[in-house]
Amino acid sequence: MSNSPAALECHGLSKRFKTIQALDNVSLQVPVGSIFGFLGPNGAGKSTLIRVIAGLIKSDAGHFTIFDKSSHSGHKVRQHMSTLVDRADFYKNLSAFQNMKILGRLTGHDQEDQINRLLDLLGLYERRKDKVKTFSQGMKQRLGLAQALLPNPKLLVLDEPTTGLDPQGMHEIRDFILKIAREQNVTIFLSSHLLHEVELICSDIALIFNGKLAAQGSMSTIFQDMEDVSVELEVENSESALKYLEKSKLASDIKPLANAISIEIQHQAIPELIRDMSAKNINIFSVSQRNRLEKFFLSLMDKK
Amino acid sequence: MILLKLTQNELYKIFSLIRSYIGFVFFTIIIPLILWGYGLGTTHIQGQIESAVSEMFFVEGSPTNGFTAAYFVMNFFYVHIPFLIALVGGDIFAGEQANGTFRIYATRPISRLSIFISKTLATMIYTLIFMLYFGLLTLGLGLIWHGGGDMLVFHQGILILEGGDAMRRFILAYGFSFMNMALVSAIAIFFSTMVRNAIGPVIGTMAIIIFSLMISTIPLEVFKNIQPYVFTTYFTNWEKVFYDPIPWIDLLRGFSFIVANLFMFLGIAFIIFRRKDILS
Repeated sequence: MSNSPAALECHGLSKRFKTIQALDNVSLQVPVGSIFGFLGPNGAGKSTLIRVIAGLIKSDAGHFTIFDKSSHSGHKVRQHMSTLVDRADFYKNLSAFQNMKILGRLTGHDQEDQINRLLDLLGLYERRKDKVKTFSQGMKQRLGLAQALLPNPKLLVLDEPTTGLDPQGMHEIRDFILKIAREQNVTIFLSSHLLHEVELICSDIALIFNGKLAAQGSMSTIFQDMEDVSVELEVENSESALKYLEKSKLASDIKPLANAISIEIQHQAIPELIRDMSAKNINIFSVSQRNRLEKFFLSLMDKK
Repeated sequence: MILLKLTQNELYKIFSLIRSYIGFVFFTIIIPLILWGYGLGTTHIQGQIESAVSEMFFVEGSPTNGFTAAYFVMNFFYVHIPFLIALVGGDIFAGEQANGTFRIYATRPISRLSIFISKTLATMIYTLIFMLYFGLLTLGLGLIWHGGGDMLVFHQGILILEGGDAMRRFILAYGFSFMNMALVSAIAIFFSTMVRNAIGPVIGTMAIIIFSLMISTIPLEVFKNIQPYVFTTYFTNWEKVFYDPIPWIDLLRGFSFIVANLFMFLGIAFIIFRRKDILS
């Protein structure tokens, strides 16, 4: 584990549901200021861990701290944390504003201007007086984020925040998460099984399989340790590029795509490849690494 | 302070639901109807009562006045009021779980004890408002419609209660009735902490009440021995405040039994709620 200050630290958390060991001695550390992706396949234990942290279920063993407040201190551990667990559900017969008011009152954050500011931030100000039952799932998720931000949390825990959303809704929520992290200075811990989503927004990750933590660290450290990566090359002359790549010992698994060429290459060898191709007058417009996280994830799955 | 805010929230949520008004609407329709029917139905017996009683006593006002009308109406609602009360109590925890709103509510830095107390308090306040409305309609409307005067009570003969005395006894009777309904709410809360839909607690509460009512009212020797341990036995205790003399010991015993049951159901409900994993 890193020595940087932690927003959330879990120590040996375990939880069993009848015959299923949902969490098995899970320890992890979420650095302050990070957007931390908690990954795993369905049923791996992501939601269970989040529900333990959120106080919805009790762990059988272990404890956790949030900004140095221990879970042994009861509900006070959640003083600086807000959560959005699973899909956002509200009192459907009340308006967005009334829902925010009710939830804000729980922590003494029910000032009208603060509620309106957050509704505005999440693009819901114009609909604040409408009943939640008229909202789309995407709007409810945004309202979920708004209510979670109401107590000015230092740690925001989101469980599969884009579940059930269409691509546009997913894109909006991702943008809001980045905006919140940047503008509100909040550490974000989010669970997801969407690797692409996590790769796009997270600075740190942890992976869980069958209730056990398989890996954790910053994105850059994890990718540094990877041997082969998938790369897409956008080149001017794909024929000569293909000829060069087939002869080159640096690349393998060469596949021509519609507007690019996909190759497998060692991470350390990418600069050498670019130099060589440029020397042979093959103009490269872009080099992009693809599905790094997926590759890492699958390699871990294979090991399991 | 936080308890006050939480209770305020719960009341806000209760009164934003249409189901919370079903009982009020029901009473607003049925009680005036009964009072109207009572007026029609008692016209022919009024003269008989007056002639029978006037030889012995002087009765101020009509013997079938607002007090007797209210007394008459109160006798009818043993089964109906619990059902209407359970609609709210049964929903207070289970409804939030069914709607998924607990996931947001319970993750705030508030203790489960505070959540439990606030929900219980709000349910009890609703029950009190409901019973006050019931009292206002039965007695208030009864007095406006049928007038005041002395109240005739038929218990081991005829007892005539002067208007002021009758009013005081009615307040006491409504107090006892409120305690009975508070127990019904506690049972509904108890069931509400156990399940994830609001229908189950209503059915569970009514099943317990109907079962207990059967035991406490069926005049069989085998049931008589257990009747003192069944809470519905004391549901009719409010009638005793109109006896002369008022059997205070009996009333206190019944009251204590109701209160003990109330705390027992709430105590178990809290233990269930505190340990409960909120999975949906």
